[in-house]
Amino acid sequence: MRQFMRLALLPLLIVLGVVTLGSADTEARYNDLGHKMMCVCGCSQILIECNHVGCPDSDRMLAELRSAIAGGGTNDAILTAFQDKYGPTVLAAPMLTKFNIVAWVVPPALLVLGLAGTFMLVKKWRLRAATMPAVEDDAVSNELRERIRKETEV
Amino acid sequence: MPAFGSFALLVALALSGYNLLAGAVALRQLATGRRSWISPEKLAETARRAGIASFFATACAAFALVWAAFTNDFSVAYITEHSNRALPAAYKFAALWSGQEGSLLLWAFLLSAYGFVLRARHKVDVKLTAYASTILAGIQVFFLLLVNVAATPFSLVTGAVPPDGNGLNPLLQYPEMVIHPPMLYLGYVGFSVPFAFALGALMMRYPGEKWIHITRRWTMVTWLFLTVGIFLGMHWAYSVLGWGGYWGWDPVENASLMPWLTGTAFLHSVMMQEKRGMMKSWNVWLIFSTFMLAILGTLLTRSGLVSSVHAFAQSAIGTWFWVFLVIVLAVCLFTYILQRDHLKTEHKLESLVSRESSFLFNNLVLLAACFTVLWGTLFPVLSEYVQGNRVTVSAPFYNRVAVPIGVFLLFLTGIGPLLAWRSTSMRSIRKNFVLPATVGLVVAIAIIPLGVHPWTIFTTDGQGAFYAWITFAMAAAVLTAISAEFFRGARVIQGKSGQNLLMSMVELTRRNTRRYGGYIVHFGIVLIFIGISGQAFNQSHEQTMNYKQSFMLGPYRVECLDYSQDSNPNYDTEFALLNVYRGDHFVTKLAPELRVYAASQQPSTIVANHSTLVADLYVIYAGKDPATGQPVIKAFLNPLVAWIWIGLIVTIFGTGIALAPNLSAAIAAQRHRAAVPAEPVPAGRAGN
Amino acid sequence: MTTIACGLLLIGAFLYVFWPEKNVEAQHQKTRLEFLRERREVLFDNLRDLNFEYRSGKYPEEDYASQRAMLENEAAETVAEIDLLESDAFAPQHG
Repeated sequence: MRQFMRLALLPLLIVLGVVTLGSADTEARYNDLGHKMMCVCGCSQILIECNHVGCPDSDRMLAELRSAIAGGGTNDAILTAFQDKYGPTVLAAPMLTKFNIVAWVVPPALLVLGLAGTFMLVKKWRLRAATMPAVEDDAVSNELRERIRKETEV
Repeated sequence: MPAFGSFALLVALALSGYNLLAGAVALRQLATGRRSWISPEKLAETARRAGIASFFATACAAFALVWAAFTNDFSVAYITEHSNRALPAAYKFAALWSGQEGSLLLWAFLLSAYGFVLRARHKVDVKLTAYASTILAGIQVFFLLLVNVAATPFSLVTGAVPPDGNGLNPLLQYPEMVIHPPMLYLGYVGFSVPFAFALGALMMRYPGEKWIHITRRWTMVTWLFLTVGIFLGMHWAYSVLGWGGYWGWDPVENASLMPWLTGTAFLHSVMMQEKRGMMKSWNVWLIFSTFMLAILGTLLTRSGLVSSVHAFAQSAIGTWFWVFLVIVLAVCLFTYILQRDHLKTEHKLESLVSRESSFLFNNLVLLAACFTVLWGTLFPVLSEYVQGNRVTVSAPFYNRVAVPIGVFLLFLTGIGPLLAWRSTSMRSIRKNFVLPATVGLVVAIAIIPLGVHPWTIFTTDGQGAFYAWITFAMAAAVLTAISAEFFRGARVIQGKSGQNLLMSMVELTRRNTRRYGGYIVHFGIVLIFIGISGQAFNQSHEQTMNYKQSFMLGPYRVECLDYSQDSNPNYDTEFALLNVYRGDHFVTKLAPELRVYAASQQPSTIVANHSTLVADLYVIYAGKDPATGQPVIKAFLNPLVAWIWIGLIVTIFGTGIALAPNLSAAIAAQRHRAAVPAEPVPAGRAGN
Repeated sequence: MTTIACGLLLIGAFLYVFWPEKNVEAQHQKTRLEFLRERREVLFDNLRDLNFEYRSGKYPEEDYASQRAMLENEAAETVAEIDLLESDAFAPQHG
């Protein structure tokens, strides 16, 4: 049961625990941030994965990203700068700001609520469920029981 | 021919309309006992036949469109837009579903084909089938209205007939694209059948749960089609789009995933109803939702409500789908409210630790996953409404939110089958869980030195490795649990028949195909999970390459042997020839390509992929360096991707087994006849 | 050509749908007996499953005994009712 709870809480923990710890090396950061943004040419692809030939935007944006990392801003600052320049759709997933928090919190919250609800429902059902006789009912004749056993033997 | 196609569609609409009306009137008369000048049975029979005939009419229309494609009839606007003379024959056939009008026609055709089978086999249960057939006719009317009025595939071009067509989108010129859409549509459309049966059973207050038995195969076949459709789409994305991945969380992909998730939930929870008479309302709503999600998916992607890479999709047809969806919802709600007392459960849940409750949690998690996908797909629209600007909700969101749910689901896959129906005691838990848990733990520890580091969860972007670690460990546990089930069962058979263990396992599976087929499906799904986890360890490298130049990626050294270009009537191509070495050992030759199609002037990459069980070396020709003319090569090392496709094959195999009839049922029936030879055949049996 | 094809389709469909048929399949309401028989099959299947899982060593003895008792009681009720209905229905012929 504890395992259930722990696993159920994981998504919440992760969402709440989105922290940026330490500074990864430049290439890893480039790769990481490149995956957190979209190409703005309308191809609906992740920036670093945009691969269509002659894309008017992705090369330029990736160059901007490289110089931004070299310029020494934090990840959040870079993302915010890109957002200011290209609009909020450039981020591959909304940041944890204002209404956007809702995007992140609702699904895990609903799952946790659902789990809690199911637990309570099951508890209620168990209380209401008539305790079935766990012993053989005497009203059933031995002959009938034999017949059933014969039919259902493996 | 286009005129014939149009006419056939009109006939099909009339026939379906008649099926709906006459069927409804007949059922109403039978239900109320009111008679008119024609007996309701006869009226119902004409309705059924109209349904069957509508299949032939729709087939004629589909044939007419394919014929127009093959004969290069560019007087048809649709053919001009989606085909051209140089297009290979197989792709001309695929023109039927490469545009909106054609795919709606295909949808209508598949629906009537399902309807045909259902109506032809009406003797299974005449009354229930009559209800289902009438409901299905209603759905048919909607799609036939669409192709007759809103998105007509046979419209003629205005002005002079063009000498050649615009050609098929080159991205779609790939063998899998010929079968991916029909598979997906077979899946979407197929859910109409269990939906129609469920709604029909509720309308007629069908006694007992036999209707589930009748629809079981339909649901499983549909589920299989949808699964295969989704995975073919993934494989196509992986092999054709050339961005190194197989799932981009695009709205169209999401739209196919949602009914899959609820359909999977339905497949599981319906077992509780069949075996224990529980969860009736829940199941009815699950199948209602699955059907509505299939429609909603189409609506989302076709109305332009959410933007998608599937460019052909956007049009004003969304309104039609909205109206249809509202009607469906209203009918479902109305029927449910009217008949809900029919859905009282016979049993209540008796324990939190039981097979039933594991199904309950499985359902909950599948629905949570479905909701997450729906939420992510719709959030941009919501955001625009609330805060005035659109946002993007893409891979990073789903990786954070949906992946943990997936891991939880994997956990339930493992424990569910080990729990007993009704209630499981602690002793039983110890008995069944020790082995899988131990194996899981051992694997969890053993893979740490191999580079799967769970503590990366505390770093910036390291959740992937952490989830991969959990997934691998849990996959090991689940595979052990499944194997143990087979092993234990086989031992019993072995004890009785004296066959060897392997033969006993075969017999075990044949005696209860649904259960053991289901386990094989779980096996496949676990393999797929393992394959997906490999993503956490992807690597990539991009470089402009001259002759004899090389780079390292993982264990491989990729060396440029040559690069050149070529032309044929359908496309121009540029390509590079690369030698791949592992150490000093030659592995393979790869030839990534970049094609520019003549008719559409659209470029398309042809991926070169060297796939092994450990990893795929996936190489694309990203373009030419404008200064030197040398090719830019982008290479990905994607671990474990092959496991996904193997898992799919296992899943297909398992579903096939689950569809096969039980050996034990046949044996039991035989024994039953032998035991009670003198039992008279009761009068009421004929109808079943 | 097209007109002929259209005509054939229309006439064919019309004839097929409205061709007078004498013996149409009757829709009948499921009888209590049929319902019980279905139920008996489900309960027997559950019992077979239980027996098999017990034999394969999945259940401890006492779990098995109580579960089997529950299912057997339920099955016995159903079987008894089937017996009653069958003897009612066929008593005249046998008598």
